[in-house]
Amino acid sequence: MKTLVWLHGDSLSARDPAAMKYPEAMRVFVFDRPFLEKARLSFKRIFFLYECAAEAAQEIRVGETVAELRQAMQEHGAEGLAVTESVAPRWRALVAELRKGTEVEVVPAVELAEVPEGFEAKRFTPFWKKFGKEWGG
Amino acid sequence: MAGLYGEVLGNAKPAPFMGGRKAALAALEKFSVQGYANSRNKIHGNVSRLSFYIRHGVLGLREVAESVRQRFGRPYDALKFWQELGWRQFWQLVYARLGSRIYQDLETAKVDLGENFPEELPEEIQKAKTGLVCMDESVRELVETGYMHNHARMWFASFIIHFRKLGWRAGERFFYRHLLDGDPASNALSWQWVASTFSHRPYIFNKENIRENGGKKWCERCHARCPFDATYPELERRLFSS
Repeated sequence: MKTLVWLHGDSLSARDPAAMKYPEAMRVFVFDRPFLEKARLSFKRIFFLYECAAEAAQEIRVGETVAELRQAMQEHGAEGLAVTESVAPRWRALVAELRKGTEVEVVPAVELAEVPEGFEAKRFTPFWKKFGKEWGG
Repeated sequence: MAGLYGEVLGNAKPAPFMGGRKAALAALEKFSVQGYANSRNKIHGNVSRLSFYIRHGVLGLREVAESVRQRFGRPYDALKFWQELGWRQFWQLVYARLGSRIYQDLETAKVDLGENFPEELPEEIQKAKTGLVCMDESVRELVETGYMHNHARMWFASFIIHFRKLGWRAGERFFYRHLLDGDPASNALSWQWVASTFSHRPYIFNKENIRENGGKKWCERCHARCPFDATYPELERRLFSS
């Protein structure tokens, strides 16, 4: 199955876990127009993101993320998407939307400390004492 | 992309920090952790300036931590640096649990924060025209470069929340729009930490603290009546006793 790798603002590298899993796949980044219209980021931030994307992705698109990714898949004859995991609610909503009709493989991000699912992070010190031992915590 | 960023076109300039993995790796290799623990809180101290790359996943947290371990071993400086990386993961874990709730007060504030907060910071603060050199210079650096030192972020947030009683949301938005490392979780939760809606007590600072941490030059050319020039008990009385 031909796969497309979706790079996003939380994982913007040609060596992100999804891209490493599918080194032959085309990497696409989308500047999400609805998000940018709302967020009003400074030019510097957008330019910085553009520089990251220009190096990491073979294709940069501007528009509504789900529609752009579907279009990119069609254009490149891809049947599935791979993406590195993010905790952002907006990213989760986009993945849920994409999954209506598209196969999406979520590749786990590489963390500093291994934390079991379901751990309730409340204050830093107990978190670091429990899981940061490898790094002196 | 015209029309999708905040400024009018004439003010649109790239930041002095370059995006992309090549620039990120060069910055990582250049970073020496030596002296980090003692100087990281000082405005001109040895900080990594890798946060922009980490925030956008251009560099991985583990990758950065391992690079330091390979090059420097496990001195105290490295432990302090890794702890800061740990904060990044911690904020992300909180974000994973709470989602958009990070934009609401997570706990009752431990002091009176005021009320009727504005949506945006007052013009004179955004334009670096308060007359307080420490605050104005920090804002100017942020707007011109997309960077502000972590300690200056804390001073500024405390100034907005506790000295000006403007709440934390307008300042949080201002930082998010301008910081190259602006991250929903790290940013909103740090503002809440200063406010005391995600910590046991409010964060406040005084003039002495600014002077001791590299801000002496700001004070020397400041002609404003300094709202920070007092002992901590005195400031607490002034800010929170009403």
